Amino acid sequence: MKISRNISFGQYIPRDSLIHNLDPRVKILSCLVMIISLFLITQFWGYLILCSFTLGGIIISQIHPKFIFQGLRNILFIIIFTLIIHLFMTEGEVLYQVSFLKITKEGLINGLLISFRLFILILVTYLLTLTTSPISLTDGIERLLSFFRFMGIPAHEIAMMMTIALRFIPTLLEETEKIMKAQISRGADFDSGNIFERAKSLIPLLIPLFVNAFRRADELAIAMEARCYRGGEGRTNYRELKIRKTDILTFAFTIIITFVTSIMF
Amino acid sequence: MFIHLDEVYYTYNIDMPFETKALKNINLEIQKGEFIGLIGHTGCGKTTLIQHFNGLLTPTSGKVYVEGIDTSKKGIDLKSIRRKVGLVFQYPENQLFEETVYKEVAFGPKKFGLPEDKIENRVREALKMVDLDYNLYAERSPFSLSGGEMRRVALASILSIRPEMLVLDEPTANLDPQSRNKILSEIKAIHNNFGITIVLVSHNMEKIAEMVDRLLVMHKGEIIMDSSPRDIFANHANDLLQVGLGLPQVTQCMYELKERGKKVYTGVLTVDEAAKEILSRMKSPTVSRK
Ligand SMILES: Nc1ncnc2c1ncn2[C@@H]1O[C@H](COP(=O)(O)OP(=O)(O)O)[C@@H](O)[C@H]1O
Ligand SMILES: [Mg+2]
Repeated sequence: MKISRNISFGQYIPRDSLIHNLDPRVKILSCLVMIISLFLITQFWGYLILCSFTLGGIIISQIHPKFIFQGLRNILFIIIFTLIIHLFMTEGEVLYQVSFLKITKEGLINGLLISFRLFILILVTYLLTLTTSPISLTDGIERLLSFFRFMGIPAHEIAMMMTIALRFIPTLLEETEKIMKAQISRGADFDSGNIFERAKSLIPLLIPLFVNAFRRADELAIAMEARCYRGGEGRTNYRELKIRKTDILTFAFTIIITFVTSIMF
Repeated sequence: MFIHLDEVYYTYNIDMPFETKALKNINLEIQKGEFIGLIGHTGCGKTTLIQHFNGLLTPTSGKVYVEGIDTSKKGIDLKSIRRKVGLVFQYPENQLFEETVYKEVAFGPKKFGLPEDKIENRVREALKMVDLDYNLYAERSPFSLSGGEMRRVALASILSIRPEMLVLDEPTANLDPQSRNKILSEIKAIHNNFGITIVLVSHNMEKIAEMVDRLLVMHKGEIIMDSSPRDIFANHANDLLQVGLGLPQVTQCMYELKERGKKVYTGVLTVDEAAKEILSRMKSPTVSRK
């Protein structure tokens, strides 16, 4: 079993580009708008326009397409799966038939469109997470959520939990890898045997992982308390988010593009 | 020859934005029965290197042979390699998981297929090697022990496999001086009494130099020195300091005497040796006057 420590999909890649420097709120909202319009559009041309728009964003972001498509490889399976399901499961004009399996014209068109939609969806979210550091991402989410504070949504607490979770994902992966290697050195075997044996073989991995995670959570809580952390009310930010002209322009541009494509297609 | 590395390179996250060249052109031979210290700064690739010794990692390019077996070859019995080369990771107490110390130490032998009736003996033997009393500790929970004890249990859980070679990654990290000396002297005793080949990894020269027969110094993914500690301190102390690795205190002391024009020999490892060396220089006035 191989654990890849680099969660290549969605790992922030620092660059100094227009997209990187946008306000995270603008990026998150633009993404949302794009995703919504993806579900409104029903025609190929609409997808093509949004796809080119996203690709344009990727070029501006100065991130090598290699990294984006490397990440896409992980999702390729889901896209192909969707395509196949649609190909065979849609009723309509039969194009090709082998015994009980038949490919229909509607299935082909639907499958391709939905795969395309999925593809763009993933591309857009990649672009967001590749160009936004986890910290500014959660900052942005906190600020956006605080609009809903009147509904009793604890924006700061949610954002803090996200920050902590994001912060500890790499640590946990690293630790998983290390403990796995340590147990393999002691003769543990994680990838042979039937499903029950495999589940059982995870015990030497899971117990130390949990023990260490709880210990770490405890230490973190103490450290936060030692620094007088007491929740969101009245806290100020070290980095203030400011909307600048490029933010407004980019957002307006995104809105116009998505709005027009959604209406036309 | 027990372990042989031939032009080994290792790169993490190859072709990724965070690619790291962790090992560069490593050539190394380790014979049975050697006692080796592997020294280098944090991040220089020590942990990466030792993971090649039992096939946890295989080189990006180059070859690793363990008793003549190429570890990157498909279909080889990696388990038998792991039984021969016992790897104790850094902070091994983080890997403990069983209910009792006995079960913890018995885990390895069991996994490597030792019959039940022989396991108890192994556990007794291993606990003895790390100086833990079987009767007192066997039924305790490993999580109820002190840090130093936990580490010794973790060490015992590798020793119970009876490896032919023992590789320890920073075994003294984060221990108080007393536990540190205890662990080191146990390791030394294991080497002396059982003839097990040992590789001791550390980022700190202190204490290690006087124990080992051979010192490997790593810097930025390469082995830059491979010789006896005496030779390295006598002839390459300068290079060591240049890459930012300190000398042991006694050696440092001799080195500074030499820097001030006293013609002392810097290849000393212990305070006794240093004292003798200084005294002998004082007795021969012709040398010290110069
Ligand atoms: N699992 C890993 N993934 C990516 N990079 C790693 C990994 N392990 C180590 N590295 C990197 O490889 C280099 C060597 O690390 P390591 O072998 O752990 O050094 P040492 O043990 O000497 O401190 C470091 O730059 C480290 O950041
Ligand atoms: Mg290390």
